[in-house]
Amino acid sequence: MIFTGEFLAFMGLALVAIIGGVLLLNLNKVIHMVVALIFTFVAIAGIYVLLSAEFVAAVQILIYSGAITIIMLFGIMLTKHDDESEAKSGKWRKLFLFLGILGFAFAVYIGIYNFNVEQVPTKLHENNTLQIGEALYSKYIIPFELTSVLLLVALVGSIILAKNDKKKEADKE
Amino acid sequence: MIEDLLQSSPGWANFGIFFLLAVVLLLVVLGFVTYGILAERKVMGFMQLRHGPNQVGGRWGLLQTVADVLKLLLKEDIIPKAVDRPLFILAPVIAFAPSFMVLATLPFTDKFQFADIGVGLLYYIAVSGLTVFGMLLGGWASNNKYALLGGMRAAAQMISYEIPLVMSVLGVILLSGSLNLNEIVARQEHGWFMFLQPIGFIVFFIASIAELNRTPFDLPESENELVAGFHVEYSGFRWAFFMLSEYVYLFGMSTLITVVFLGGWLAPFGLTFIPGAIWFALKFSVVVFVYIWLRSTLPRFRADRLMEFGWKVLLPIALANIFLTAILKTIFGA
Repeated sequence: MIFTGEFLAFMGLALVAIIGGVLLLNLNKVIHMVVALIFTFVAIAGIYVLLSAEFVAAVQILIYSGAITIIMLFGIMLTKHDDESEAKSGKWRKLFLFLGILGFAFAVYIGIYNFNVEQVPTKLHENNTLQIGEALYSKYIIPFELTSVLLLVALVGSIILAKNDKKKEADKE
Repeated sequence: MIEDLLQSSPGWANFGIFFLLAVVLLLVVLGFVTYGILAERKVMGFMQLRHGPNQVGGRWGLLQTVADVLKLLLKEDIIPKAVDRPLFILAPVIAFAPSFMVLATLPFTDKFQFADIGVGLLYYIAVSGLTVFGMLLGGWASNNKYALLGGMRAAAQMISYEIPLVMSVLGVILLSGSLNLNEIVARQEHGWFMFLQPIGFIVFFIASIAELNRTPFDLPESENELVAGFHVEYSGFRWAFFMLSEYVYLFGMSTLITVVFLGGWLAPFGLTFIPGAIWFALKFSVVVFVYIWLRSTLPRFRADRLMEFGWKVLLPIALANIFLTAILKTIFGA
């Protein structure tokens, strides 16, 4: 095996992403989980950079950093301050869980080990921001517009919901 | 040079060179922060008819910040009993690391740049958004109501103002046709984007002050409402990390404004006999001065006004600017 810089970087990022995921499931406090989630998302953005998908990487961080902050705020506001999730587990449960994980790992191993990925030479890594833009505005223009309409509807909906609350409060007073 | 290094095979020598370069940049930035703080105190002093630091290090107080930093580093490291210990320790690191990461892509001159990536502008804005976690986490982990309020304000403010920040540079991106900072500078050969995009420039500048958490938008750490905001419980070098990240962002944001709106290292009026680095330093200093100037002249916003201003004033103006730019570009051609 050749240790190239890319390999080392990938191993580092992959480890961070997986450890973040595992911690997300295993930690007890909401905020700690969110921190684990940050590490996973940033590591995945790093992997995008390794695949020379710079645009996707930057957008990943940009979008998710906002999204995670909101999750974090909800975590702070909607949960009890010192609440910790209780671990419930029996002996049998653990055993079945372990067997299940083994089975899954085995299935994935068999599925992936001899999976033949055809190497097609592409030019996707050159100027990929430009290419994404061109594809979005020529080939996929209708899905793109539909998505923006969907987002607009969500935005208007949330504003209406927030407005209603205000009116009721005003009525009460 | 960096380009060759990036493509060479990895090894300890290679690692050493990168490490050395990073350390050199860190030292340059620390030097800026040291004298940036001094400059801020001096300029604010003069504006308020005071002297500012004038004792340590001669008449100009040249060693004042050095003494302050030494004091911070020698202070006892206090971690209060009721804090969330791991997060309390992690928060300053999360706040500081992105501030240094963003410097990697900024072109200081045509030769002095570390990484030339295709989406440099987007990278800066995306990575700088990560700092807000550090602030929010620090506020939460401190287990203190003022700190938590400061953290919440930081989160609300930075997310709200990131949107006009991105929207206002879209005009520049439309005109230059690229997200690459080098190409954006190259496009300003015949006119800085500050003059081609005046509306975008003003919106960007205002939003950038909010992103930097400086007066008049320093609500997350407003000392007379929230004691000191999200870093009330921090002391010693952990507090120094928060402070450092704030000033590194001042460095980064001033560089970004110089590059995107003021033509970077390009010489105005064809005065090319003065090297680009000096032009860059001049423009950069002017931007930093304006930040300090605004800090000592404007009072702080009220929290609800701040949000209204971001969403109801800056965002529509930025959107209108994009629209206008697109129309003008279609009429007059690229």
